Amino acid sequence: MASNNPATPSVKEQREAKRAAKVAVLKKQQAKEKRNRIIGFSVGGLLVAGAIALVITFVVSSAVPKVNPDDIAIEGLDTFDGLTAVHIDPNPVDYEAEYGMNPPAGGDHFGAWLNCGVYTEPQQNENAVHALEHGAVWVTYDPDVLGEAEIETLRESIPKTYMVLSPYPGLPAPVVASAWANQVQLDGVDDPRLADFIEKFRQSPDAPEPGAACTGAVNGPGRIS
Amino acid sequence: MDQAESPDSGRRVRLIVAAVVAVALLVAAAFAAGSLSAPVATAPSTTSAEAGFARDMQTHHAQAVEMSLIVRDLTDDPDVRLLAYDIATSQSQQAGQMNGWLTVWNLPQTSPEPAMTWMSRPALTGVSHEGMSEMGTGESDHEPGGDMPGMATAEQLAELEAATGDEAERIFLQLMIAHHEGGVEMADAVLVRSNERVVRSLAASIVKAQSSEIGYMQDLLDALPAA
Repeated sequence: MASNNPATPSVKEQREAKRAAKVAVLKKQQAKEKRNRIIGFSVGGLLVAGAIALVITFVVSSAVPKVNPDDIAIEGLDTFDGLTAVHIDPNPVDYEAEYGMNPPAGGDHFGAWLNCGVYTEPQQNENAVHALEHGAVWVTYDPDVLGEAEIETLRESIPKTYMVLSPYPGLPAPVVASAWANQVQLDGVDDPRLADFIEKFRQSPDAPEPGAACTGAVNGPGRIS
Repeated sequence: MDQAESPDSGRRVRLIVAAVVAVALLVAAAFAAGSLSAPVATAPSTTSAEAGFARDMQTHHAQAVEMSLIVRDLTDDPDVRLLAYDIATSQSQQAGQMNGWLTVWNLPQTSPEPAMTWMSRPALTGVSHEGMSEMGTGESDHEPGGDMPGMATAEQLAELEAATGDEAERIFLQLMIAHHEGGVEMADAVLVRSNERVVRSLAASIVKAQSSEIGYMQDLLDALPAA
């Protein structure tokens, strides 16, 4: 009977075909799952590796901290624009009246600069301002406010060159740090802004004459180092 | 067996290729990220205005140092001696800066071109004129290989060395005023030819310091007794 009509599959053949179709669908599904798994692992792996690469890049590129002096922010910083810088000796300058500064942080000055160093006595403003023009930082303290131990702390905490340290009676704060055109009033010898100020301004290329000497001119009274 | 194995091994090959490509992409991406996040440092070339200035200004500064040390031995005047000390120490320090730039830029201290060639080239357009002297234009009519502006001649140096006292001070001040004017001219010239931060910063300092010293030296010169 079956041989009469070759177009009509036998029951067995029909069953086989069904099963083959089922197997094909199953295989297709398995292949799809496998593909998805590969894609998933690949994407996941890439993400993990990318994250690791970014971390390595970040660590390597920031291993040496970069300190741009421009980025050092100092709270309460006073700045003075358009300062003149004429040698006016022998006439003294009234820095408070002329520039609104106490103590001075730039302006006209004497032809000789104050040699940098540690002083136990007040200094001639007009010489010290010339040292600021050469890139020095001048740290002044009120001798009526600071004790001997605190003064010693100041002396220990500042760099050995391009620094002037001297008492300055009548300061508006216990300690004042000044560079050319910049100044900050400090709360005391352990005010963290002192180190920041020195780091930012000492021998800064923004001083009018960076690289000029802070030696070889005038030794003020009471120089101890 | 063969037919059953080949699709499997084909897939393995594809997987390996994909892994290799992924790793290569990863390396490239990490490299790009690293180089993009690193500061861009393009050093000036050996025929740049920056390099020319760094070399010629060292020569120019060296003569100012030489003249300053000469006059300190020829006079007792404290003002002139201190001025000479100031010029000698600060210009030595600045010459050291310029020497250091060339080293950092991996350039020779000696130019492949005649001195002053950089100043004979046209100014850059769109460069900030900040820091230039009041009268300065940065333009120059200098020829490659020509004298640098304000340099003293060998005869003038000999004349200074043969003098003493007021006469030595007068010659020194006259020579140094001209020398500073030339220095300001060269600093102005690089300020219209460079965007390099360190170069602009030092050139502006030179303009400022030497301009004010010219005024001071003129005062000292005027105060000398008539020759």
